[in-house]
Amino acid sequence: MAEDESEWDCWMVESLRLYKDLHVFELQESTRVIEWIQDRSICVAGCTMGKKNEILELSLPQKLYAKGNQGLCPERDFTVKHGSFSERPIYELKHVAGTSLLVSSGPPDTSLQVWRLATDESDAIILENMVQHQTAAGQWSKISVNCFPTPRVLHGSKVSDLTIQEIASQKVLFTTGADGCEPEPISDLEFLDHCTFSVCSRKGHLWLADSRQRPSLIGCSDVPVSREDGCHWTMGWAPGHSKVARLCSDGRVLLSDYRDLSKTLGLAELVIPTAVSNSDYLSLTWAPYLQDHLAVSGFNGTVHVYDTSSWLAGAGQAEPTFVHRGHSVIAPEAEEKIPLITRHAWHPWKRRVLLSTADDSSLHVWHWVDHNTA
Amino acid sequence: MPEIKVTPLGAGQDVGRSCILVSIGGKNVMLDCGMHMGYNDDRRFPDFSYITQNGRLTEFLDCVIISHFHLDHCGALPYMSEMIGYDGPIYMTHPTKAICPILLEDYRKITVDKKGETNFFTSQMIKDCMKKVVAVHLHQTVQVDDELEIKAYYAGHVLGAAMVQIRVGSESVVYTGDYNMTPDRHLGAAWIDKCRPDLFISESTYATTIRDSKRCRERDFLKKVHDAIERGGKVLIPVFALGRAQELCILLETFWERMNLKAPIYFSTGLTEKANHYYKLFITWTNQKIRKTFVQRNMFEFKHIKPFDRTYADNPGPMVIMPGYCVQGTVGHKILSGQRKLEMEGRQTLEVKMQVEYMSFSAHADAKGIMQLIRQVEPQNVLLVHGEAKKMGFLKEKIEQEFSINCYMPANGETVAIVTNPNIPVDISLGLLKGDSTLGPVPDPKKPKLMHGTLIIKDNSLRLVSPDQAVKELGLSEHHLRYTCKVQIQDHHSEQDTLNRIYNHLKNILKDYPIQHLPDGSVMVESILIKISAMSEDQSTKDVLVSWTYQDEELGSYLITLLKKGLPQSIAL
Repeated sequence: MAEDESEWDCWMVESLRLYKDLHVFELQESTRVIEWIQDRSICVAGCTMGKKNEILELSLPQKLYAKGNQGLCPERDFTVKHGSFSERPIYELKHVAGTSLLVSSGPPDTSLQVWRLATDESDAIILENMVQHQTAAGQWSKISVNCFPTPRVLHGSKVSDLTIQEIASQKVLFTTGADGCEPEPISDLEFLDHCTFSVCSRKGHLWLADSRQRPSLIGCSDVPVSREDGCHWTMGWAPGHSKVARLCSDGRVLLSDYRDLSKTLGLAELVIPTAVSNSDYLSLTWAPYLQDHLAVSGFNGTVHVYDTSSWLAGAGQAEPTFVHRGHSVIAPEAEEKIPLITRHAWHPWKRRVLLSTADDSSLHVWHWVDHNTA
Repeated sequence: MPEIKVTPLGAGQDVGRSCILVSIGGKNVMLDCGMHMGYNDDRRFPDFSYITQNGRLTEFLDCVIISHFHLDHCGALPYMSEMIGYDGPIYMTHPTKAICPILLEDYRKITVDKKGETNFFTSQMIKDCMKKVVAVHLHQTVQVDDELEIKAYYAGHVLGAAMVQIRVGSESVVYTGDYNMTPDRHLGAAWIDKCRPDLFISESTYATTIRDSKRCRERDFLKKVHDAIERGGKVLIPVFALGRAQELCILLETFWERMNLKAPIYFSTGLTEKANHYYKLFITWTNQKIRKTFVQRNMFEFKHIKPFDRTYADNPGPMVIMPGYCVQGTVGHKILSGQRKLEMEGRQTLEVKMQVEYMSFSAHADAKGIMQLIRQVEPQNVLLVHGEAKKMGFLKEKIEQEFSINCYMPANGETVAIVTNPNIPVDISLGLLKGDSTLGPVPDPKKPKLMHGTLIIKDNSLRLVSPDQAVKELGLSEHHLRYTCKVQIQDHHSEQDTLNRIYNHLKNILKDYPIQHLPDGSVMVESILIKISAMSEDQSTKDVLVSWTYQDEELGSYLITLLKKGLPQSIAL
């Protein structure tokens, strides 16, 4: 007990300088999703096979959304606003902006679940229906949602089975099935607007697609050279910009522009201890209000923040602007295993605030200090 | 049906005060008697009209139990006992008994002397109320009367806080009050044994909260202090002597050197003397670490923290001061509420130029903690107060699903009745046990065994005896009921032969039953007697009389049906 306390004590003193704010929570079960509902609450969900998993909408404590007079807000705790149980683990969860709808997916197959957050008169999250189109067992769908013109979901597990369906009617609006694409497994997809979307495959292939055209895949990048077998790629796109970054499990990051996917804007090598074996947790996200900044996690128990403005093609090793080590330091005394970050997310408008969660059920909210600009 | 009734007192859905009425085994218990700090009128007190419209509460309540000294749990006690009227016992732990009156008096002073309110309890009322208090130790079973007993358990939270078990016969309720499941720097974590009560009562807010860690709250506190000191400022930390003061002092002392700070830290002398005195008295209530260090030094003897002298107030340079708790109505409290201009005595207006940080350090359990405690206690039912049932369907389902028990969420003023299934211990006579014992393996003590007998309730004893013994004890004679039925069967043999044939027939069919052929020729199956009536006129038919006692009615019916079918030709004589 004493040893753990002194490690924490040392890190705590250091953290006074590193963070403007730091909050540490312990969920009842670990989550692979952090999904914002506007800027006042987040959704998390259990991801364990073989048992009922909780989906929770957690209201942010006043301290984390107050814009002024933050000092007079004593409340620092999350409150369970809505909740429900899912029969299956939840690996993806998206909120349809402007609605009370959530869409989730997870094993044992590629079907989706549509949920609705109940009104203020109840704390329930109601399972509305299941979306099943070309359901395949043994995989799960990646999801992206859009609310215009009607709430719709883009989903699939391979390039050849990507589908856009209207959520309410389940009407199939588009599918890549007719395009004769390769059944390449995907790692990420994202609506750019209601008709166009980007797709990244596990091999690192990046496409731009337009659902109004045939064939729909209109732009594509080369597959980056693999250094080893089993390399896995994922992507993150910069909202409101044309930039997209691809992250490899061996630590490489490629920057591209949608307007010309054949060119590489920048390249960097992240310093990671070893190539990750469980690539499901690899995640790269761009900061909504901090230009050129992105965050990376899923390699170990840390979250790295990078400023990509200095990355030129062939830039070499990239130094992080900030590393959040909190999950490794504050690991429960009984556990010897260092936790693995399962997901991170940026605060929608607080520039340097991130949320991160690990497989030990910890959830951190941290506001880091950039000593380069401070 | 035996049941436990629970009514949280109060109007609307406000959560500012705790006062719960429990009826168990014919006894009425009030759990906590808190004041709502947000109201300035009678709404701050619980609504006692649920108990009785007028008159004193003494005859309606068997006892009152107070969980800890926070005003939202004990603030209305003098009002209830002295202004409404209650003369029965009030139970609380020793530290609570020592500290309650201090807080009540402080609050009374502010409310009456400073704010000029009427319809509030007086100093004498507080004293009279405290005279009714019976202090209890942890884990001590206290017999309130012949049937009602209570027991207090350590709750953490603040000095003297307790969870309480209330028992009447084999029915029991556990009330948690406020508690925490992780120890802090000066108090331990809540603990209760696996008492399996019929009902577990706690706060719904615990179950819906995911708390920021104590370490981060401490970090935030230290950072604010550190930043202010670095800028050369002074820091004022108003804190109640017997609440977090000790905790914050230990924290500052631990980190002062590590943070490379040299500024002096002061606390008000009144604070330390009082706190020292109480901690000395109640050292067993603190955690192990404190107890160990206490042997070596005084509770408030620190390297970097010293008593404050008013003359230091204008000293230049950075400083940290911990003056004391800011009760509602004080200047300190106004500043914490965000006021930036203060009207002082003599119409002088002061501008508040300092930065104000409001921090909460109170130790409470959260969603994970409450599930942990329920798992520890193993209740039959859970009841959560201060929540709205229709808004908490998920939470209810979560608890019901996790533990396979019912979860209730009454609104304030609503009564919930929880059906219980109490065991009634009964003495069983040896004769009955022996008579009922069957050959075979030794009965499993964990498996219920169904027995039949006569229950005699005399004075306070319950005994199960055999009916014969009961009849004997009561000096009654036993009546026997016998039914007789006549069945006509076609048989040309003599009476004796027919009876022999009936005997052989039954022997073939009823192989597991004791069948006797009596000397007079009649056949006996268990208690059933089969005879031939001598009154039959026709030689080819026989009137068979079958008679049985009411206990063998089923078998008797069966034999009638069997005989009505006639005797097979093949049956020998």
